[in-house]
Amino acid sequence: MDDEDFFTSLGRGSSSTSNARGRGGGTTTNSFQDRLRRASRHDPDGLPAAGPSSRDADGDVRIRDAGADHVNGLGRGHAAEDGGDDDEELPDFLREDVSETPLQQLVRHWMNERHAPDILPVQEALLSELLDHIRRQSETVQLLRGDPSSSEDEHFRIMLVQTEVERVKFVVRSYLRTRLFKIEKYARHIMTQPEMQEKLLENEVEHARRYANLTDQHFYHAVLQSLPDSQQTLDDAPPFVPPMVAEPDRSRPVFVHAREDCPRITLPDGTPHEMKKGHISLTPYAVVDQLVARGEAELV
Amino acid sequence: MSLPQSLRVSVTPLELELIACEQLVEIVPLISMEKTAFISGAYGPLRPPSKSKVPLWMAINLKLKKKCHIVPPEWLTVDFLQERLSRETSQPQFSKLPFRFAEISKVVLDVASDDVPNADKIRSLLKDLREARQAKSREGLQQIDHSELSLPNLCSMEINEIRPVFVQSMGLLSQLVREPENRAGDV
Repeated sequence: MDDEDFFTSLGRGSSSTSNARGRGGGTTTNSFQDRLRRASRHDPDGLPAAGPSSRDADGDVRIRDAGADHVNGLGRGHAAEDGGDDDEELPDFLREDVSETPLQQLVRHWMNERHAPDILPVQEALLSELLDHIRRQSETVQLLRGDPSSSEDEHFRIMLVQTEVERVKFVVRSYLRTRLFKIEKYARHIMTQPEMQEKLLENEVEHARRYANLTDQHFYHAVLQSLPDSQQTLDDAPPFVPPMVAEPDRSRPVFVHAREDCPRITLPDGTPHEMKKGHISLTPYAVVDQLVARGEAELV
Repeated sequence: MSLPQSLRVSVTPLELELIACEQLVEIVPLISMEKTAFISGAYGPLRPPSKSKVPLWMAINLKLKKKCHIVPPEWLTVDFLQERLSRETSQPQFSKLPFRFAEISKVVLDVASDDVPNADKIRSLLKDLREARQAKSREGLQQIDHSELSLPNLCSMEINEIRPVFVQSMGLLSQLVREPENRAGDV
């Protein structure tokens, strides 16, 4: 959404705009702190990155402050949204953000993964983008913590940033753990199906391989070696009983929520079904897997 | 144990709360803070007493430290909920509510009930709404078949509540329908 990193905004916070803020009133302590910060910033600067970017930020802030006067101090990103919402009778229901932030995307994929019986394609680019972001935020926090000149206000922001980092980490972990759970459950199936392996990360495939081997060996040493040859296999598919290799049950029903108007789908009983934006259905996963894969619908 | 047993069937209300807490709410800050870049976007600057939009989790955090007042969402009012409740009890279908209204109203009422006018009245309205809707979703179980059940305007927490029963019921029904075809193929 917003590309500025923590540094630029910090740079802006500390080194600029006491003039812009002066007329706001009620911020005397703040501008005092600012003056303190500025003083320390004028010696050969400790944070090289903050130098040029904070100057850009100056201009930026002035523009934003001017705008803020008539949008009641809201950040710029939200100003337009709010204007649009006010026209609608029930803003909250109807608002489905068209542009998702990476975090919102991950949350959606996390929930899809949690609800889908099958393993979904891994969101590698999204994951690495967010992990990168987490790392950058954490590094900044570390740096600022070590900086003795940072003010109390900054410590407070550091705390908030850290809180968020932990929240995002939780989502990332839960997403990966959900996948890991399914990978272990369907390890043997994955090893026989190349198209399943395409949906996994390399190290996930490697994990599935080792897990399948380990369990196979364990079963062999524990029981199978003492059975007759014909009964030693682990992939029998006798009639009328479920096969020995566990497969995802793609006919399991899921709750699906249309994020946009979806193309017509065919239900198991043959009737066509069209989902308008916002519609919620309970239907077998196999019916909607394409919609979910394309992001037109999400599992809830 | 990559995923604990309790998390395998469904997501937990706490996880839904975590997701709902990403939504933006308006606050009246009591401290000032510069614009700060977060992973989910940049928020601020906070300048008391002008309102600002921040994610709910941040609002809660600030509120617990007595550093802001939360402006309750516009649907969290007696008038609005009363109107929804009368619709809910007079009409057969579910009325439209924010998708995550249960989570958000719970969090806001828990943490910032002093910022919500008539908090007690709102609590009881929410409870009535919940019961009216729950009764409807139970009736919905009658209409379940093996292929599709439309549940317009159902909310995230309600879906989570009915999930185990509905998923299992539909799963059973589809097995009953599927069986003859399989047999035919096998024999």
